Amino acid sequence: MSVQVRDLTKVYQVPVKQPGLLSTLRSVFHREYREVRAVDRVSFNVEPGERVGFLGPNGAGKTTTLKMLSGLLHPTSGEVRIEGRRPQDRSVDFLKSITLVMGQKQQLIWDLPASDSFELNRALFDIPRQVYRERLDELTALLGLDEFTDQPVRNLSLGQRMRCELAAALLHRPGTLFLDEPTIGLDVEVQAQVRQFIDAYNRNTGATVLLTSHDMEDVAHIAERILLIDHGVVRFDGSLGELQRRFGPGRLLTVKVGRTTEAQEHLLTGVLGMSAGAAASWSKTVAPDEVNAVLTRLLQDLPSAEVSVGEPPLREVLTRAFGEARERREEGA
Amino acid sequence: MIRCMRLVPALVRFSTARVMAYRAEMVIWILSASLPLVMLALWNAVAAEGPIAGMGQGEMARYFAATLLVNQLTGVWIVWQLNYEIRTGLLSTQLLRPVHPLWHNAVWMMTALPIRALVMLPILGALLAWRPDLWVRPDPLMLPVFALSVAMAWALAFLVQATFAILSFWLDQSIGLFGVWYSGWALLSGYVAPLALFPDWAQRPLRFSPFRAMLGLPVELLGGFVSPREVGLDLAVQAGWVLGALVLVRVLWRRGLRHYGAYGA
Repeated sequence: MSVQVRDLTKVYQVPVKQPGLLSTLRSVFHREYREVRAVDRVSFNVEPGERVGFLGPNGAGKTTTLKMLSGLLHPTSGEVRIEGRRPQDRSVDFLKSITLVMGQKQQLIWDLPASDSFELNRALFDIPRQVYRERLDELTALLGLDEFTDQPVRNLSLGQRMRCELAAALLHRPGTLFLDEPTIGLDVEVQAQVRQFIDAYNRNTGATVLLTSHDMEDVAHIAERILLIDHGVVRFDGSLGELQRRFGPGRLLTVKVGRTTEAQEHLLTGVLGMSAGAAASWSKTVAPDEVNAVLTRLLQDLPSAEVSVGEPPLREVLTRAFGEARERREEGA
Repeated sequence: MIRCMRLVPALVRFSTARVMAYRAEMVIWILSASLPLVMLALWNAVAAEGPIAGMGQGEMARYFAATLLVNQLTGVWIVWQLNYEIRTGLLSTQLLRPVHPLWHNAVWMMTALPIRALVMLPILGALLAWRPDLWVRPDPLMLPVFALSVAMAWALAFLVQATFAILSFWLDQSIGLFGVWYSGWALLSGYVAPLALFPDWAQRPLRFSPFRAMLGLPVELLGGFVSPREVGLDLAVQAGWVLGALVLVRVLWRRGLRHYGAYGA
């Protein structure tokens, strides 16, 4: 087992204060705290080489969980083992076996070239020089770094910086990757490059990947298993396909028609309620028990149309899943 | 410990690059710490009317020239650095590396010492030109004692600042607390006035205080104000403070890490 988590809980004591002068003065002598249960008895296992996506709305506890798994935060209660080691002990062996990439925080020193941070990591992670050279060459080729690692990090674009961050985080070839919003703020091209790179790293090294992201493309490309977290509680644990079946609003029907008559357009938009998309196509998410009826109607009235049935966009599935989780929470309350 | 020492060359290489990247800022910082020169001018004028507590103009010049140098050789900024890293969560990136963040920072701040000494050279040269009697040939045996004392003063300054910075795990205003400590240090360490000028009743507690261990003792050793008979006890007291501060930092650090996270770690 690569990752074992049992009843993991994190409770923060957050200071609270009502607005107003009186309350401000009162808080000088008596500070009030509120308990925030960020993660609540979360349990799961991850097999070596698995790619798991932590999904959930803002404040769901995803990042807190990742930070406990990477040893940054101490759990209030519960147990975590990463390849048999306790993260909060922060042993040298543990730190050499993991990495945490935070899209919103950088480990590279702002005013130095990235190559200086690479060299520092070589020494800190005890990477032999020859191995370091080979890995750096490989990462440079995969991430396209060769043109800018000698420039101060402050002069790099966000995309260049993120690629350097990934290289710095993976030079020691960790067996477990924690990725917290790795593509946030990046342009579409760099996002795709980062996803492909993570995919290749996972396939080539057999590393375990745990990812949090609000970007559905990240999730669809990287994660094969989804853990849905809401208010610190795991609401769903299964494959992406299972998630779509369980929370999906139905199947996505897409119709492509070369040229339509007014009557056909009326059928598509007026009768069937489909939305017009690009390149003379119409689409609609249809409830599973209505799919056959809609298909039959389409084949009758538009025999030349190209009709495809697929999964609805992941964003739509997750919106429903989060909504369902919220309803259940409110019912419980 | 062995691993920490093994990493020193790599940390020095990295820290040197970092120091050089911020060299202009550092020179400004060094030059801004010129209060001993102001105090020299002040006490020089006072001593013109006759020696005070056995210190004439020559002794005053020697004392504050030594203060200027020792203050630079014991200069650290870990309280601001670590406080910032804890509050903003930047400490996380350091915690992910297999080296203690305090050790990493300590090597960085030690690497700045040659630059600090280099910037001081022309200032000390100008002081020597102004007062050639400032040049004393210290007892060669006292030089290693001075080196040991200044090393311990540096360590104590680092550990005391680290203690206040670690309080940031619990408190928003640990820098404010450090400001209170700094005021006491400036007054009682010998920074603004030689401790010999304090009343007799204050002499004994001041001799054994952490403030003197952080500045006054190495200054007095370099200026030749400490009798060889007293050196052993003074160094032992200084070592005691370093050891105590080290234990305190270790305990607080471990406890503090358990609190880390409430500030967007």
